[in-house]
Amino acid sequence: MKKIEAIIQPFKLEEVKEALKSIGIDGMTITEVRGHGRQKGHKEVYRGQEYNVDLLPKVKIEMVIPVSREEEVIRTLSAAARTGNIGDGKIFTYDVAEAIRIRNEDRGESAL
Amino acid sequence: MSQKPSGSATKTVASPRSSPGLIQQEFVASGNAAAAIASRSALVDELVIEAYQSCLAATFPHGIAVLAVGGFGRSELFPHSDVDVLLLVDKEIQGDSRREALSAFLRTLWDQGLRVSQSVRTVGECCQLDSTNVELSMSLLDERFLAGDRALYEVLKQKLPRFLQSQRHPLIKHLCDMTRSRHAKFHGTIFHLEPNIKETPGGMRDLHLVHWLSILRGVEDESLQPLSAAREFLSSLRCKLHYKVGRDNNLLSFGVQEEMAPDPAVWMREYYRHARAIHQTAVRHMDLAEGLMEGSLVKQFRDWRSRLSNSDFTVTRERVYFRTPQNLVVDPELVLRLFEFVARHGVRPALDTERRMSEHLSRLAAHFAISRPLWPAIRRILAQPHAALAVRTMHESGVLLALFPEWQGIESLVVRDFYHRYTVDEHTIVTIEAIEDLRTSKDPARRRFADLLGEIDDLPLVYTALLFHDTGKSEGMKDHATMSARLAEAVLARVQMPDEEARKVQFLIANHLAISVVMNARDLSDPATARELSTKVFTHENLKWLTILTYADVSAVNPEAMTPWRLEQLWRTYVVTHHELTRELDTDRIAPAQGEAAGLDFVAGFPTRYLLTHSAADVDRHVELSELSKVAGVAVDVVRLQGTYQVTVVTTDRPKLFAALAGALSSFGMNIVKAEAFANNKGTVLDTFTFADPMRTLELNPMEIDRLKLTLQRVALGKEDVKKLLKGRSRPVQRLLQMQPSVSFDSEASQSSTLVEIVAQDRPGLLYDLASTLSEASCNIDVVLIDTEAQKALDVFYVTADGAKLTADCQASLREALLNVCCN
Repeated sequence: MKKIEAIIQPFKLEEVKEALKSIGIDGMTITEVRGHGRQKGHKEVYRGQEYNVDLLPKVKIEMVIPVSREEEVIRTLSAAARTGNIGDGKIFTYDVAEAIRIRNEDRGESAL
Repeated sequence: MSQKPSGSATKTVASPRSSPGLIQQEFVASGNAAAAIASRSALVDELVIEAYQSCLAATFPHGIAVLAVGGFGRSELFPHSDVDVLLLVDKEIQGDSRREALSAFLRTLWDQGLRVSQSVRTVGECCQLDSTNVELSMSLLDERFLAGDRALYEVLKQKLPRFLQSQRHPLIKHLCDMTRSRHAKFHGTIFHLEPNIKETPGGMRDLHLVHWLSILRGVEDESLQPLSAAREFLSSLRCKLHYKVGRDNNLLSFGVQEEMAPDPAVWMREYYRHARAIHQTAVRHMDLAEGLMEGSLVKQFRDWRSRLSNSDFTVTRERVYFRTPQNLVVDPELVLRLFEFVARHGVRPALDTERRMSEHLSRLAAHFAISRPLWPAIRRILAQPHAALAVRTMHESGVLLALFPEWQGIESLVVRDFYHRYTVDEHTIVTIEAIEDLRTSKDPARRRFADLLGEIDDLPLVYTALLFHDTGKSEGMKDHATMSARLAEAVLARVQMPDEEARKVQFLIANHLAISVVMNARDLSDPATARELSTKVFTHENLKWLTILTYADVSAVNPEAMTPWRLEQLWRTYVVTHHELTRELDTDRIAPAQGEAAGLDFVAGFPTRYLLTHSAADVDRHVELSELSKVAGVAVDVVRLQGTYQVTVVTTDRPKLFAALAGALSSFGMNIVKAEAFANNKGTVLDTFTFADPMRTLELNPMEIDRLKLTLQRVALGKEDVKKLLKGRSRPVQRLLQMQPSVSFDSEASQSSTLVEIVAQDRPGLLYDLASTLSEASCNIDVVLIDTEAQKALDVFYVTADGAKLTADCQASLREALLNVCCN
C-alpha cells in the first residue's frame, strides 16, 4: 500500500476530487493548510504599503491506495491539479506498513 | 457475603424485580419518560440498598449513611446517567477492614453496570463551602436518604438548611457564573443545528438551574409547573438518546433528528420552542436571584445606568421598561424607539417589557403591514453601537417578525449540512454580531478587515442587507440570493427606504455569494478571476461592502469557520479585485464605436467603468451638460444629495484645470470627499466632486450656490486665479498627524500612464494641494478617483508627463513633494 499526499491549489480541489472519483478513488482526507515551497510567498502592495504573503493557502489531500494503482493515481492527480504556474503544488508518496479498519479489524488492502 | 444480612432494609421488594431491559421495553411501548426515569431510580435505589446491606451494614453498624444526591437524589435517573452517591460518615474512615468494605460496596455497584460517582464526607464537611468543589454543595440540594445510620442523617438534616441559608449568596453567584460561562461556550444561543440537549442554553442543565435557584430563594419551583411540557419533551428525548447510543449521550445529531420525525426540520422547530421557554425562564431566574444579593458597588453602577432613563423608558437593574406601556396602543412605533434605546445603550428590555410587547404583537404586525416611512427609525436602530443586541432582542420578543413577516420562513429553519452550526435566523443575527466584534478585534489578520469596515460610511445598509441575505432560503436552497433580494425588495419598499439605498441593499443581497465563490473555487493569481469579479462589483465601494458582508457571512456559519486560511483567501480576493478595479480605470476605455452605438459620442474615451457606475439618468444629465458647454465653453451643475452636495463640471481640458476646480471649492470652505475626473477622446473633461459643507454655508445662504457655480465657471475658463481666491482663507488649525501618509507609483498598471496612489490624513484643501503639486511638476492628470473614508483620503491619479509614463527621477522628486503636501 502507498500513501499519497498532495499539496494543491485550493481552487483545484473540486477538479481533483472529480478526477479521482472517475478512476474509482473515493476515500481521502482533505485539510486546509498554509505554507510555502521554494517560491517563498511574495510581496503584495495595497494602498502603497507592501505586505508579505509568506504563507499561501493550499489544500492537502491524503489517501492510501494499493501499490498497483500508484502511478495511475499520481498521473490523474497531477493532470487535474496542474495550471502550469508556480504554486501548483507537490505530490509525495510513502510506503504504508499496515492498514486496519477499526470497526472490524480488517487488515491490509481490504481495509482501504 | 453470599448470605443476605438480616439488617433492616428501608424498602422491601414485593413486586418482581424490574430490570433495565424491562424499563426500556415499557418506555418504547408507552413513551412515558417520567415513568422510565422513576423506574430506573427505584431500581437503582434497590441495588444501592442491597449493596449497602451486603457490604457495609456488618462493618458499619452505625456511623455511615448512604444518600442519593444530584439527579439520583431527585429520582431522575436517565437510562445511562451517572449515579451520584454520598457516603455520610461520622468520622474519617480508617482501618483496612473498613476501607475494604467500602471498596467492596462500590465494586458491587460497578459490577452491576452502574457508573457511580461517590463522595465520602462528614456532616461538618457537607456544611462547609469548598470553593474548589461547590458542585458538592449543589448536589446536596437534592439529597435523599437511602440506607444506614438514620441518626447521623438527622444531624445533617438539621444543619444543612442553616448552612444553605447562610451561604446562599455565594452559591447563587457560583451557579449563575457557571451557567453564564456554559451559555457563553455555546454562544448564548439555543439555536444549534446539533444541540447538546443537556448543556446548550435551553437544555436540561437550565431546568436544573431553575430548580436549584428556586430552592435557594425559597420560591415555587417553576421547572415543575410552567415548564412541565418542555421538561417532558426533553426527558423523553434524552431517554431516546441514551437508549439509542447505549451511553450517556446528549448530542442531538442529524442522524437522530432524522429518526425522530418524518420531517426533522419541522420537528426541530418544536425542540427550539421548548428550549426557548426553558432558556428564558433560566435567564429570568438568574436576574431575580442576582438582584437579591447585589452589593453596593453594583447598586451604584445600576443607579448610574438608571440615569439613562428618558421620557419614554426607564432603566432599572440593567433592564429597560416602558414608562407608559399603554402608549403601545396608540403609538406602535414606540417599540422601534425602544430598540433604538437598546441599541444605543446596550441594555436589554426587561421581561415585563417583552411581555407587554408580546401582548400587542398582532396590533404591531397590522401597523407595520402597511407601507409607512419607517426606514429612518430602523436606520437609527442599526446605526447604534449595540445594533446586534437590538436585533437579537427584537427577534426574541417577536417584534422582528411583526415588523418583517418575511422572516417567518427562516425562523428556526435548519440547514442540514455539517458546515452550518446555527439555524438560519440565528446565523443572520450572528453575522451582525461578527461585524460588531470585528470593530474591536485585536487579531492582526482581522485588523485589516476592521480597517475596511471603518471605511464603510453607511453600516445600517450593510446590516439591512445581512438581515435579509438568507431569507430566500425558506424557498429551498437553489439560488437563494436572488430570492432573498426579491423578498427584501418588498420589505424595503414597505418601509419606504429611498430608491438609491434600496438598490444598494438589493445589490448586496443578490451578490452576497460572489466573493465566496471566487475565494473558494477560482485561481486568484489568474488575472481573469479579478476581472470577472470586478464586472460584478463595479466599484471599490461595492467591493468593500461585499468583502465585509462575506467576512460576516462566513464567520457566522460556525465559530471556527473563519480560519486563518479563509481570512487569507478573502483578503487576497479583495486585494486582487481592488487592483483590478484601479487598473481598469485607465486601461479599459469606451471605444468610439461603442460610444456612438449608444448614441453617446460624448462618453467615448471614458473608462468602461463609467457606464457601469452611472445610471442612465446620470449619463443623460452629463450629455445634456456637454451640449450646454459647447455654447458657453463650460457647464456647471450643483445638486444636493443626502448631507452632501455634488457638482459636475463639463469643459474643455486645459492644464491645471482639476487643481483649479478643487481649489475653488476649498475657497468656499467646502470639504471634498469624493471626486472623479475623466477626459473623452475629444478633450472634453467631466469632473465630478462630492463635497460636504461643514459651515452650512450653502444651506443657510442659498444665493451662495449661484455664486459657487459662477466662480467654478470662471475658474474653468481661466478667468479667475485660484491662488487669489484662496488667499482670503485662513489655513485650518493644525491637527496632530494620526497616520503616516504614503505615496506609491505604479507604471505597470496602465499601458500609457503612471498610477499615483496617495493615502493620507484628510484635511481641507488637501486635494487642491496634491493636484497643484502634480500640475506644477508638468504632469497631466488623465483620470482621478478620490475617496475619503473616516479622516483618510484615498487618492488615485493617472498621470503622464509629455504624453508618456513618469521617469524614475520624476517619481522620486514627486514623491517628496507630495509627501510634503500631505504633512502640511
